Amino acid sequence: MDGTTDQRKGETMENTSLMPEKDSSGLADAIDRILDKGLVINADITIDVAGVELLGIKIRAALASFETAAKYGLEFPSGTITETAAWKEAMTEKEECPQCGKRVEREELLNFACPWCGWESAKAKKRKRAAVKVEVQ
Amino acid sequence: MVILRPEETGLKELLDRILDKGVAVDTSVKVDLCSLNLLGSKARVILASFKTADKIGLDFPEGTDFNTPVWRDLVTKQSCPVCGMESRREELKEEGCPWCGWNYRPKER
Repeated sequence: MDGTTDQRKGETMENTSLMPEKDSSGLADAIDRILDKGLVINADITIDVAGVELLGIKIRAALASFETAAKYGLEFPSGTITETAAWKEAMTEKEECPQCGKRVEREELLNFACPWCGWESAKAKKRKRAAVKVEVQ
Repeated sequence: MVILRPEETGLKELLDRILDKGVAVDTSVKVDLCSLNLLGSKARVILASFKTADKIGLDFPEGTDFNTPVWRDLVTKQSCPVCGMESRREELKEEGCPWCGWNYRPKER
């Protein structure tokens, strides 16, 4: 049975080559999603007793993965060294390959191909076609 | 904007929708005793993804650096209605989506 579902998956992938291969309904994916997109939680809470404001709480919270936090310029705890290789990598623009789901440098993925699975974007294909045309001429 | 394809109705899409649209909770509770205003509580909570938060003008925590390239991209980039990948707005409009090749003006010639 597994074989047939795999086969079906393969077919749909051929039809819509932009569908990610991996299963997308797990908890891990949900967490991935939230951390990747980042989550802002803002809250203003007041409590008053007998018409007198007793307690006021103002929360401005942002929750994100390290990479997203670095990209959006969130402040890191004091003492964080921002000159490490991980920081440089976090600041380069990356995009998820639509076929294999690996995070690849955006420019490379868009202009050439995915170095992992070889997926090519419409732009890369167009460029290739143009290059072939020039050669033929 | 989120366009759901029929096969996409899992947890991921639900989360995407919640994050993209944002959730606002506004509650106020009052407890009166013998017409005396005893206890009152007000809570305004809002939950959204970074992108949505920026769009609707939410406050970010103090010390956030708004000069990173991502903040600029939020204004200049738009997601393709077919594949959902982001690209420059003009490019998407003029040449079509560089990712999936979608073009809202199919060949005029």
